[in-house]
Parts: sequence; C-alpha cells; structure tokens
Amino acid sequence: MATKTNKNSNEQSRPRDLLSPQQMREMLTQLYLARYFDVRLIKEKKRGRLRGTLYSSHNQEAILVGSLFGLKGTDWISPIHRDMPAFFLKDMNAGWRNPDRIGMTIEEVCAQVWGKAGSPGRARDNWSHIGSKSKRIIHSTSMLAGTIPAAAGVVYADRLDGGDAVVLTYNGEGSTAQGIFHEAINFAAVHKLPVITIIENNQWAYGTPTHLEYSLEDFARRADGYGIPGLIADGQDVLDVYDKVMMAVEHARAGNGPSIVECKTFRAYGHGDHDDDRAAKYRPKDEVEEGRSRDPIAVMKQQLVALGHMTKEEAGQHLAENKGAGEVTDIDFPEEVVAYLNEGVQFAIKSPLPEAEEGGMWVFKEVE
Amino acid sequence: MASLIDGVSSTKKNYLTAIKEAIAEEMARNPHMIAMGEDIGILGGAFGVTDGLQARFGPERVIDMPISEGAIVGTACGMALNGKTVMVEMQFIDFISCGFDQIVNMTATYHYRTAGEVNIPMVIRGPAGGYGGGALYHSQMNEAWFANSPGLKIVCPSTPSDAKGLMISALRDPNPVLFYEIKELYRKREIEEELNAGDDAIVPLGKARIAREGTDVTLVTYGQNVWHCLEAADNLAKEGYSAEVIDIRTLVPLDEETIIASLQKTNRLVVVNEAPMTCGFAGEILARMTTKAFRYLDAPPARVTRLDTPVPWVKPLELHVLPSVEKITETALQTIRF
Repeated sequence: MATKTNKNSNEQSRPRDLLSPQQMREMLTQLYLARYFDVRLIKEKKRGRLRGTLYSSHNQEAILVGSLFGLKGTDWISPIHRDMPAFFLKDMNAGWRNPDRIGMTIEEVCAQVWGKAGSPGRARDNWSHIGSKSKRIIHSTSMLAGTIPAAAGVVYADRLDGGDAVVLTYNGEGSTAQGIFHEAINFAAVHKLPVITIIENNQWAYGTPTHLEYSLEDFARRADGYGIPGLIADGQDVLDVYDKVMMAVEHARAGNGPSIVECKTFRAYGHGDHDDDRAAKYRPKDEVEEGRSRDPIAVMKQQLVALGHMTKEEAGQHLAENKGAGEVTDIDFPEEVVAYLNEGVQFAIKSPLPEAEEGGMWVFKEVE
Repeated sequence: MASLIDGVSSTKKNYLTAIKEAIAEEMARNPHMIAMGEDIGILGGAFGVTDGLQARFGPERVIDMPISEGAIVGTACGMALNGKTVMVEMQFIDFISCGFDQIVNMTATYHYRTAGEVNIPMVIRGPAGGYGGGALYHSQMNEAWFANSPGLKIVCPSTPSDAKGLMISALRDPNPVLFYEIKELYRKREIEEELNAGDDAIVPLGKARIAREGTDVTLVTYGQNVWHCLEAADNLAKEGYSAEVIDIRTLVPLDEETIIASLQKTNRLVVVNEAPMTCGFAGEILARMTTKAFRYLDAPPARVTRLDTPVPWVKPLELHVLPSVEKITETALQTIRF
C-alpha cells in the first residue's frame, strides 16, 4: 500500500490546491518562525541562559509546519524532543495571539525552555516534555515511541464520545525499532483509529545510521504489515508534507483508520547540542552537505515564486535559508517572527522559578 | 473471620465474584468506565472475572486486546487522559513486566509531571501469588517494583468483602492503582462472605484491618499470607501466646498508625509476605517501624518472606521457598521468646 513520492501524480486533487496564496505565504512565515525559534535557542544557550539539552529541528521544519497546518484545533498531537515548535504551531491558523486557539502560546513554550514557573508543567520535566490536556497536546517521556499508545487511547475515547478528532504522533525513524511502536500501531489498525504516525526520517538515530536501524528501502513500507497506508513525503517540501498528511487525515477522519507518513529529511546538527562536535566527525561530510542542500525555506520560496504567489524580489528578502545558526541574524527573518519570539523570551525571563517545595508535590491527586 | 469457616450459605460469595461485582457495578454507575485486557470480552477472562461484562456493556467498553501489555497500559493511559476511567486486566500479574515502562514512566508520573493538570484514573488488576504450582511466570508477587515507583497506589485484598470494597475505591480513585488479586483465593469456599452492594460495600484505601486481635506479637501481612498468619496465630494460641494479625490491605498508602498502635500493645513485630526478601515490601515495613516504633519494640523485628529465588514449579520446591504457617509460627515464637 506504500505510495511512492511522485509530484506529478494526482495533480488535480492534491490537498494543497485548496490553499489560498495567503495561506501558502503563511506557511513560509511559519517555517521562518520554527527556524528562528531554533536558532534563537541555540544563541540563548550559548549565552548561558538556558540549561538542558537542545534538540534542534533545523532543516526539519517543513514536517512540523506542513503536518500541523491543516489540522483542526480539536485534533490532538504528540510531539517529541525534536518537535519543540509544534507546541506553538498547533492551531496557529486561528491567530498567533488568539487566546482561544487550541495550541500553546509562545510564552508558555519559552517559559518551559527557560525552566520557569510559567511553563505549563511548572518546569517539572525538561524541554519538550510538556503538553496540555486543554490544548490537546500529549506529554511525552524520554522513552521514544512510548506516547503512541496514549495517542491511540486519546482518540479511542474521543470516538466513544462522538468526536471526530485525529491525532498526529511524531517519531524519529530510530524509535520505530521499539516494541511499543509495533504494539500501538497494531492496536490502532485493529480498531481503525485515527492515528497518523509521522516518521521524521532524518537518517540518524543519535549516532546510528538507518541501515543499522531497519532493513527497508522505504520505511513507509512497514505500514503494509499493519494493513494500513504508508505514505512518503519529501520532508524538505512543506507542501508535499501537507498533501500527504492531509490525505492521511482525511482517510482517518472518514473512519478508515491509521496511516504512517514517512517524511524523508536530514538532521542538520548533532542529536542534541552536546553532540554537535562529535556528529561532525561520525557523519560523512558529503552526506551532511547533501542532506542540508535543500533548505525547506528555500524550497518553499521557489514554489511560491513559481506559483506566482511571491515575487523574486520578495523571495530575496529575509535570507535565513542555507545558513547555520551561527550565521543568521535577526534581519534574516521577518519582523513579525522576531517580535513574536521576543514576547515569549521576555515572558520567560521575567517568570519566576518554581518554588522548591513543589518538587515534593503532585505525586498523587487528592481523593475528593 | 473464623465464623465464616463454619458453613457456606447460598448468599455468601467468593473472592472472584466480589471483584466481578465491583467491576460490573462501577461500569453501570460510571458510563465513562472502560475495561480492557487480553481475552476479557468474548472469553470473559482467563479466570472468568469479566464473564458477561462484554455482553452487558458492549465491545467498545469491554475491549479484547491483542497480546500487548505495553499498548494495553499505554492506550488506557490515553483514554484516562481524555476523560475515561479504565480497568486494565493483566491476565497474570506476572505479565505486567511487559508493560513496565508504560506503567512507571508514562502513567505513574503523569500527575506529577503536569503539576496536577492531568490525573490518570486507572486500575491495573490481575491474578497474583504463589502456592498454586504456577511456576516462575504465573506465581509472582512483584508489587515491590511498583512500590518503588512514585505515583502508584497498591492494593492487595485477602477477603471477598475487602476485594469488593477496595476495588470500588480503586475504581473511584483519581490515581493509577495496582490491584493484586490472589488467585488461590478466587474460589476458596472457606472464605466466602455476604457482600454489600454499591457504596455500602466501600472499603477505603489506606486503612488496615485487624484480622485478629492479640497482645503478645503483631503479625503484619497482606494477601494470601493473611490466612497463613491466622493459622499461625492458632498455633501460637496453643503455645499460650496471643498474636495480633494486621492485614494492611493497601501498601501505598500504608496505614502506619494501625501498626504502631498494635506495637504499643504487643511490643513485637513479624512481617510476612510472599515476595522475595531483598528490597521487598516486608523490608519497608520493618524499616519504618524500626524508625517510628523503635521504643515500643522489645525484640528485633523479623520478617518471613520468600527466599531470594524465583517461584519454582513442583510443590516441594515451591513450598520450600515460600513462607509457610510453620515458618511464621517459628519466627513469631523466636521473637516472643527473645
């Protein structure tokens, strides 16, 4: 059931055809935002303002923006460590600063990164290990693929209650070797649950390349074993990700069950920032150059220009693409993007640390 | 309790039926309750605890799960995250190890790591314990693994009325609860009891039961060993000693006050449980009482546990490694005569 990437197939019926020029340009802006969040954190960390490990999503932003863009606010997501921007990108089309949107605010996400009391989890677990029941974001642990069963349970409950929510779970290709990955997708397939498993195949599981992780040419073929569709998306192309995820979402919402969407991409840096120097050694230089040669911002600009939604002159502004975190500055990003993030950073800096006594609290919920 | 052994009337019910009633009553009361596990629907459960449940509440609420303990617990956690109360059956409590990560990292920590935003009302229950020839993988008492994982309540009833009352409390608790059912007690006729219905049946978590009053030694235990301790108390009575038997009922939270109050009276402590000794829950009770009730103790507190071995299959081997009435009696006598 795996479908090959073929940009010329189904040209007439692709989900992207319903997107307006403004929506497509918004996608580009969101790519900038995800990138700026990443480089800003790298810079803040280098200034010594942050603790913990930074798991960069640099070069993989198209997967987050493309997969989240068409979701409803009432849908659920289950992001992991490399998906920090997903927390605020969820339901962003309801308005970046709309207090009613069902996604995290930039203030909440930054407060979490800074380890402050303003974090939704009051900084009890680190980095991406936040979530929100009310915002419909499942809280991850460090046990990768370990939240896919919860995702299946969430939509099982939603369906029982008459809802139509789908859930997107994000996973690196490395976590697909976990037994729980199989257990959860098997269960979701048996019950035709609306679980869309996104594989961010960035070619490296920490220090292990894909040929030592699984024996398939295209990971999406793993879906055949569950009797569900396996789609392949160009992870550098936000529109292709949007198409494939929306196909899976429509399939799920129609009651046809789960899908696996393999997004082929490449991890720009080390596994975490502690690993950057070593990653430069354990990964062949030409592989890294090739993997980073199609920056998702550049790919989107080319498409907007080709579609006539953007002039070449406009595309020449804000040249964040093809630059490393140490090379970009704020002028490489749209002002609205920098301003939005500044609001989050300022909030995080001002937010107090949690009280020390909180470390001993909330093990159990009190019985009423 | 002793009067129950005299005869079995038609209204008395066994330990298994007590659990079955509690689950069915709670499912009827709470439309958001779901039951899931291996073979619990069509078959009605390997031991029959969920017999008839799927016919009554439908396959969407009583789910036959693939053999995937991790996914069973994990999906239950997701359902609970999204408003459901979930009863999870482990076909044997031994199999819980296959779902370990989902229990201790995902489920047990949820309330803590979300600063109270999310709580997971879930009961993981299953048949546990030795003395039945179940061998290594159908005889375990592995509750200590979970007592060492903050965020989980742990229950282990020894009588039908406790089984029902504690199960109702567990199913109404806003936290994840591990519920150890003693399979050797499931159909034991000698312990059958009349059962109350609904709220009248409730037994709160965290309150120990004095199974037999006494003055010379306190035997603290739970589960199947309660009955061994009661027998040992009979033996001790023949020797002229009066033993108090405390059934703690729940390990987490532990009713320390009832134990301390007993030690004030008896000044001697023996803890009995069928899990292995090292880092077992008996050791935890000893440690707490040694710290908190030291001045009441007239003899070194002792414990009777399984040897630090797995549970072997054939009877002589199994009985050799598990606590017995004889071992309990002997240890209690040593403690009394110290």
